[in-house]
Parts: sequence; C-alpha cells; structure tokens
Amino acid sequence: MTDGYSFPDLPLGEIRAGTSLLVTGPTHEGSRDLAVRLLAGAPGEAAIVVTTNQRAVRMADDCRRMGLATSPEQTAILDCVGTDEEGIEARVYPVSGPSDLTGIGMRYSDVHAAFVEDGYERVRTGLFSLSTLLSFSDLRTVSRFVHTLVGRIDSVDGLGVLLIDPGSHDERTVRTLAQFCSGRVQVREGETGPELRARGIPGQSREWQPFEPAP
Amino acid sequence: MILCVDPDEEARAATARALADAGFEVREAGSVAAAGDAIEGGPDCVVTEYDLPDGSGLDVLGRARDAVPDAACVLFTDTPIDRVDTAAVGDLVAEYLSKGDPEAREQLVALVDHSLAFRNQTAYPLPEDEDARIAALDRYVGDPEALDDSLDRLTELATALFDVDAAAVGLVDAHEERFLSCVGVAFGSVDREDTVCTYAILDEQVTVVEDTLEDPRFEDNERLRAAGLRFYASAPLRTPEGRAIGTFCVFDSQPGGFDARQRELLELLADEAMEQLELRRRLRAAEGDGTDD
Repeated sequence: MTDGYSFPDLPLGEIRAGTSLLVTGPTHEGSRDLAVRLLAGAPGEAAIVVTTNQRAVRMADDCRRMGLATSPEQTAILDCVGTDEEGIEARVYPVSGPSDLTGIGMRYSDVHAAFVEDGYERVRTGLFSLSTLLSFSDLRTVSRFVHTLVGRIDSVDGLGVLLIDPGSHDERTVRTLAQFCSGRVQVREGETGPELRARGIPGQSREWQPFEPAP
Repeated sequence: MILCVDPDEEARAATARALADAGFEVREAGSVAAAGDAIEGGPDCVVTEYDLPDGSGLDVLGRARDAVPDAACVLFTDTPIDRVDTAAVGDLVAEYLSKGDPEAREQLVALVDHSLAFRNQTAYPLPEDEDARIAALDRYVGDPEALDDSLDRLTELATALFDVDAAAVGLVDAHEERFLSCVGVAFGSVDREDTVCTYAILDEQVTVVEDTLEDPRFEDNERLRAAGLRFYASAPLRTPEGRAIGTFCVFDSQPGGFDARQRELLELLADEAMEQLELRRRLRAAEGDGTDD
C-alpha cells in the first residue's frame, strides 16, 4: 500500500492513495485555484493535468502560481483546447477536443504508463473541468468517462482531483458524478476568505475551514 | 468471456494464453467481421488491436459498447497513441495499453482484472454493496415464472391505488434489470444503464422522479420516451439482510408528485413483493434444489 497524499498549507489531512475527489464550488470563489493546489505535493511526484477550456500555457501558469513546480520531466498537460505553443514547462499532448472523451482517457493511460516507466510511482491527476465536458457530451457518457478514469486512478494508487462548478448544472448531475468519487471537497467564500469542507473522506474534519487563497 | 481481437495469429495466441492462464474464458477473432459473432455472445471484456484488415479496433469496441454497454473495452495495440484517431468516437470511452512493452501482457491481465472486479466502465454509479447485492439477488432468481400471478396482482393493485398508467416489479442484476411483472407497460430485460431503477437502488428510501424529461439522468432515455412515461416512483425490494435487489415501481404519462402517504403505501407493496420472493426462495430451499439454507 502506497502512503497517502499530503497537502502542505491546506487544512486537509493525508488522503489515502487511490482516492479521487470531486471539488465543487463557484470558480470565482476559488474552487479552481484550490483544485489546482491539491496537485502540489511532495517532491518526486508527477502530475497529469487535463485542461478542457484553458490554453496549456495558462494552465501551466496556474499550476506554478498554486505551488506546483512544473517541468517536462514530471508534469504532463493534456490539452483539449488545441494550442500550439512553445516554451511550456511541461509535456503537452493534444486531444482533438473536449467532446473526445475516448481520446482524453486513452491519452491519459498512455501518459501515466510513461511516467511509471520513468520511475514515478506517485501521480496526481487534475481534470479542469467536468463542467466543460458536460457542455459537449451527455451525462451518461461523462459518467462512463469519470467512472473509468477514477477506476484507473484507484488501480495505480494515484490521486484524482475533478473540478465542477455546481452552479452550472442540475443538482442531480453533480450528485451522480460525486457518486463515482470517493470524496468531495466543497469550496466557498467565507466572511474572512475562502473556506473548504471535506465530505465522505475518512479522518477529515467535516467543518468549514478557512485557508490562505494562495500558497 | 473475454473477446481477444488481433489479426496477427502469434500475437493473438500469446494474449489469449496470458488471459486464459489468469483464469478467463477467451474467444478469439482476427477481424471486425469475425469479432461481430463473438460480440453477440455478450463478452464481459473486449481486448483489440487497432489496425484490423477490415476496419479498426475502435469499430470493434463501438459495436461492443452498443451490444454490451457495461463491457470493459481495451485497445491493446502496437499502434502509437498519436496514430489512434478517436475524434469520431469520443463517446466510446475505452482503455489504451501499448503492446510494445516487454511486460505488456502482465499489464493487460492486471488491467482486465481490475476493470472486471470494479466494473468501472459502467455509465452509472454502483451501490457500495454491489457484490453482496448481486450474490443476494442470485438466491431469488430461481423460478420467476411461478411468481407471475402473485406479483401481477400487486402491480395491478398499484396502478389502481395510485391512479397511474403502469406498475412493475424488477430485479436489478449485474448488467440488466429483469422485470418479473409489468402492468400497463411491457418491459422484459433492459440494459441497466437504461433504467431509472439503476439509480433508485442507490437511495435508501422511496425514489421519486417527478418528470423524467426534466431529469439530466433520463432526459435522453429513449425507452421511457417511447413508452410515453414521465413520472416515476419506486421503493426498493430489500432482502432480510438489507440488500436492495430490485424495485417496485410505478409510472405515469403525466409528470406529478407523490405524497408521504403514497410513499408509505408504495413501501408496503415493495415489502409484500419481497415477501413473496422470500417465500419462494425458502420453498425452493426446502425442496432441496441446491440453493441455500
């Protein structure tokens, strides 16, 4: 059994390897930043980031701003937006678009295998965001995709972070997708700044807890 | 059964052998056309090369996904990922594993093992106690024909009691729901991803969908649309150990609500249907037909 994944500077305890978290909250209240930040952990871990609606260069900037040191050795960006830019500090792989869930899933498996071959046993995976995927595909297809991805992350003792903006979707859509994940992290803007709350994850506080908006 | 598709006989035999050694029943095919027959047999998993003489592995997986929606689909190929064109089949969803690695077949067995154990290519969430639930269900499926009359009386009563168009009793099996009794509608077996009950068994209590056309989980459900059914309510059929093996459900062509008393009554009907199933199970067990206790 691999050690759990830790989250420096966040009010979240260690999370068991193989877990996928659904991060929910309005984007302007910091849910996206927090979700990216959950990918930053111990040195020696790799990260695979799927970007559905931001250019890879912007995604890499966000990662660095949130404390994830990106490099071509240990960071991969699966780019559904179709940018062709140079000088990004990460391996960037094209996917034909956010409706190509088959392509995202297959590319993910291949990139993960490459990291394992390079000696990275611990890989964090971020998907930004499910909301985009839902605007291109029906719930059934997105459900199958999420179920498969979460199963893959579980089988390789990884950590998954899947972002969704609940305000853009029917509550039953969010609930269905949450049922594939082992836990949920909710984000909101509190009186003094952003707050998070963990749900369904053993050993975590169930109360709203403030956190610093940036590392 | 696992369907293994590869035009290269030697490679196919090696893959089939690795899977058979791991305890799986394997069928082999060398083309899209040959795979078609095996897909009719309802494989649990399809492992295929990409380049096939009469098409691509994605064609095979597409057919498998249509025929057996829950099947684990794996592209196991020498073709690099950059050459795999998925743009036209974005809704297929399948695994990719490179065949080039020296340990590729060990990796394939591990992937297939995990995919089948956790059934993680389904398009619907599974109850937490899915394995125990399926094991429990198997004890109740002995002779459903014998139950028809008593369940038919209950579903008939339900339509009158709630003034709805249809009522049914269904068992939610691993991949499909089998309807034991239907009044006002004719369902036989339905793929699990196409039934509302698949989601209802995730709930502890009575499930009410006031309008399936307004619910993102069912708005594209062609079966409900064809039957003209919009309102849905169901209560779980729970075994004495608490496993939800199916539902007692009612449908109507008009969207609507369901009050607390109606929910109670629906639960009573579900309990009565479960009681019938339980009695038949005990009867079969007493007659010593090899089930249990």
